[in-house]
Amino acid sequence: MTSDDDAAGQPRESDLDTAADFEILDGIRGLFELIDPMPADLPERVRFALAMRGLESELARLVSEDSPELAGARGTERSRTVTFDSASLSIMIRIEENKDGSVRVDGWLVPAQPREIEMQTAAETLSVSSDADGRFAFAQVPSGTARLVVVGSAGRDQGAGGPAVVTPALVL
Amino acid sequence: MDEPMAVTAPADPADRSVRSDRNARIADLLDAAKGGSEDALGQITAELSPMLWHVARAAGLGADDAEDVVQTAWERLLSHLADIRVPQALIGWLVVTTRHEAWRLRSAGRRQRPADQDWLTAIPDQSAGAEEQIVLDEQQRALWRAVGRLSAQCQELLRIVAFIPRPDYQSVSAALGMPVGSIGPTRSRCLQKIRVLLADELDGRSA
Repeated sequence: MTSDDDAAGQPRESDLDTAADFEILDGIRGLFELIDPMPADLPERVRFALAMRGLESELARLVSEDSPELAGARGTERSRTVTFDSASLSIMIRIEENKDGSVRVDGWLVPAQPREIEMQTAAETLSVSSDADGRFAFAQVPSGTARLVVVGSAGRDQGAGGPAVVTPALVL
Repeated sequence: MDEPMAVTAPADPADRSVRSDRNARIADLLDAAKGGSEDALGQITAELSPMLWHVARAAGLGADDAEDVVQTAWERLLSHLADIRVPQALIGWLVVTTRHEAWRLRSAGRRQRPADQDWLTAIPDQSAGAEEQIVLDEQQRALWRAVGRLSAQCQELLRIVAFIPRPDYQSVSAALGMPVGSIGPTRSRCLQKIRVLLADELDGRSA
């Protein structure tokens, strides 16, 4: 998050490398380019994979959100259910408070499919995969604002796939 | 095939203008890609994939896994593109994501290889009848031996750092999965070690 600022910051003395270091690093780069070069067709493969996915990501709409209800035996844990729709997917999630103040998010995708799913929070991005039934779970998500991203997929795994789907920000 | 678009820094490390041109070009491509240009995105992948290949290989992945991880990093970039504003952040995000994916793949134990660092054993042996001989001069051979004597951590770090365009270095190194305060000293320590090892190699062979 702060990387943009750091680049412009004053280098500390310990960060300064000498011309001799640059020469060594240039030498190391040259050696690895010779000895272990990237396969020449990799950029083309990547380009193809990205073209399959398309640059467009779908923005999911919030379609329903039930009011928080008391759940659990002690009646102290709140849970709520939120549903998002996009052109290619519906995402349903159930959000429950953990005792430590974080939340647990259980979700499922319709149509059911294995996809990579990210929870992007202010602090970090958590990543899980859904199973063949489309189910996924984040056991501990810091409370606060977050959004879910169903990462786009070229459909390499059993025909499941589609563009990235991004939800609006949610308050967990 | 067209000419390989390797990440080649200019020969003169003091020449910043060439690199800032490169940064300006990547910044333009980044804007175009965010606007939906697949061609611009393709040019970015051609430019930066070699760096990511070396990041993945430095993490100990076999060649097939390294290719997969580079591809995954680019695919994941698509859903983050809107958040990335400058080339430094793009490079940092890609390097960190590639490294993260590489570690994830390794810890998942998929297609685990007995020799993780197979590139290290690929040290060219000019007496062997390799079909494609790589000819290194004495300086390069000494440097290669010196690299082989580094700790695994220093080998990985210096290989990555060698491929990151210099002006982006600090922003990227801050995110390399080591504590921000220790990356500079770690890098300096590794560089210091290899200077000593290289001098030793050069002395040893000329004596």
